Amino acid sequence: MSPDLATTLRSETPAAPNELRERVALVAAAPPPPPRRIFSLRRVAMVGGSAVAAASLAIAVGVGLKTAAVSDPNVQSFSAEQLPRQPRAATTVQEGEANAVGPLLDANLQRSAAAPAPTPGRAQDYTAALTVLVDGTEDLSATTQRALRATRRLGGYVVTVRYGAPEPTEGSATLRLNIPVSRVQAAIVQFSGLGRILAQETQITDLQQSLDEITRQIRRLERSGGSKEQIAALRRKRAEINRRAAFATVNLDLTTHEPEQKATPPSRFDRAVDDATGVLAAELAIGAYALIVAAPILLLLGLAFAGSRAYRRYSDQRLLERA
Amino acid sequence: MTSAHPSFASIAETHLDDVYRYLLYMTANPSTAEDLTSETFERALSRWDRFDAKRGTAQTWLCQLARSTALDHFRAEERRRRREERVAEPDRGAEIELPDEYGPVLRQALRTLSAADREVIALRIVLEQDAQTAARVLGISPSACTTRLNRALERLEKKVRPRLVA
Repeated sequence: MSPDLATTLRSETPAAPNELRERVALVAAAPPPPPRRIFSLRRVAMVGGSAVAAASLAIAVGVGLKTAAVSDPNVQSFSAEQLPRQPRAATTVQEGEANAVGPLLDANLQRSAAAPAPTPGRAQDYTAALTVLVDGTEDLSATTQRALRATRRLGGYVVTVRYGAPEPTEGSATLRLNIPVSRVQAAIVQFSGLGRILAQETQITDLQQSLDEITRQIRRLERSGGSKEQIAALRRKRAEINRRAAFATVNLDLTTHEPEQKATPPSRFDRAVDDATGVLAAELAIGAYALIVAAPILLLLGLAFAGSRAYRRYSDQRLLERA
Repeated sequence: MTSAHPSFASIAETHLDDVYRYLLYMTANPSTAEDLTSETFERALSRWDRFDAKRGTAQTWLCQLARSTALDHFRAEERRRRREERVAEPDRGAEIELPDEYGPVLRQALRTLSAADREVIALRIVLEQDAQTAARVLGISPSACTTRLNRALERLEKKVRPRLVA
C-alpha cells in the first residue's frame, strides 16, 4: 500500500458536520432509558444455576440430618434388652428334649454365662464346644497341657488332640475331650478360665426316650419268649446309649488368633455426612443423565445457532459487496 | 462518572467523527451517513447499560452498532428496490453528488469500491484501528481482515495511482 494513499484518504475524509454534532448532542443530552432487560440470559443462568445448586445441597443436608436422627438398628440389636433374644437362648428339639446354646460374641457376657447343666437321672447326649483365646504360642502350649491335666483330674479322657503353630506368633490346638457328665459343668468352668472365651456352644440331646423304648422292647421279648439274639442286640444297643450318656463330649479350641474387631458403628455426624454425600451423588447422577439425554438436542441447537450466524455473516457480506 | 465508565455525552463527543467517517465510507452518501450516525447514537444511548469497557473500547462498540445500523439500512434499501422493480423500470440511482470539499481520492473510493471494501478501509486506514479490533467489528478473523484490506487497497490504488503520481 502506498503511504501517500493512506495519508490522502485520512486527510480527505471530512469530519462530522456541525448540524450532525448538534443532533447527536441532543440525543446524548437525553436521559438514558431504564434497562429493558432485567433478566438477561446470563443473569438468569447464573441465578438459576445457583438456585439449583443451593436446593440440591439443602436437600442433601436435610436428608442427611433426617436419616441420622433415626437410631441405627445395628446398635439396638446389641443392647442389653435385646440380648436375651439372641440365638444363645434359643431352644431346639432334637430326638426329644434338646437345648442349644449358640455362639456368644460378647466376651464379658460369655464369662458370666454358665453352661446348662445336664438333667440328673436322665440319659442325655451332652456336647459342648468352646473357643478360647490365649496370649501366644508359648501360652498355647502351657494352656493345652493344663486342659489335658484338668480333663484327667475330672475323670475324663482325651479323644483327639491336634496342636499346630505354623508361625512363631500364631498357633492353635483342637482338643476333643470326653468328660463324665456329672462333672462337665466343672470342666467348662475350668476351660473358661484358660483364656478369653471367643465362642461357646452347648447342645443337649435327650436319649432317655430311646433308652426307655429299648427297655420296653427287651421286656416284651422276654415275656413273649423272643429270640435271645434279638434280646442281646437290644441290650448292646442300650449299653451303648448308656455309655454315650455317661460322658459329655467337649470340643475345646485354643487359639492365638484374635478375631477381627467389629467395625465401630459410625457416629451420627458421620452417618449424616454419608447420607448427604449419597444424596448429592444421586443428584449429580440424575444431572449427568439429564445432560446425556439433552446433549444431542443441545448440540443440534448449538449447530443451528452457529449455522444461522454464519449464514447471517455471509448474507451481510454479500449485501455490502452489492452496495 | 468515573474515568473507568465515562458519561455517554463524553463518549458521543469523542467518537462522533469516527462513527460518521465509518458510516460515510459504508454508505458513500453524506446525508445518509448523517442520519445513520444519529440513529447509531440513539441506539447506543438505549443500550448504554450494556456497554462494558472491559470487553472492548467505546469506539469498537460504537462501530459495531454503526455497522448493524448500516446493514439494517442496506437491507431496507434492497427491499425497497425490489418492490420498485416489480412495478417499474429499476432506478439505478443517479450518481451521488459529493460536496466539493471532498478530495479526488476519496471521491474515487466512494464511487468505485463496494461497501465491503470501503468499510475495511475506513476501519483500518481512516480510523487507524489495528487488525484485531477491525476484525472484531467485522466479525471475521484478523488475517481475513488484513486480506480484505489489501485487496480493497489494491483495487483503489489502480484507480487513483495516476492522480497520486501527478
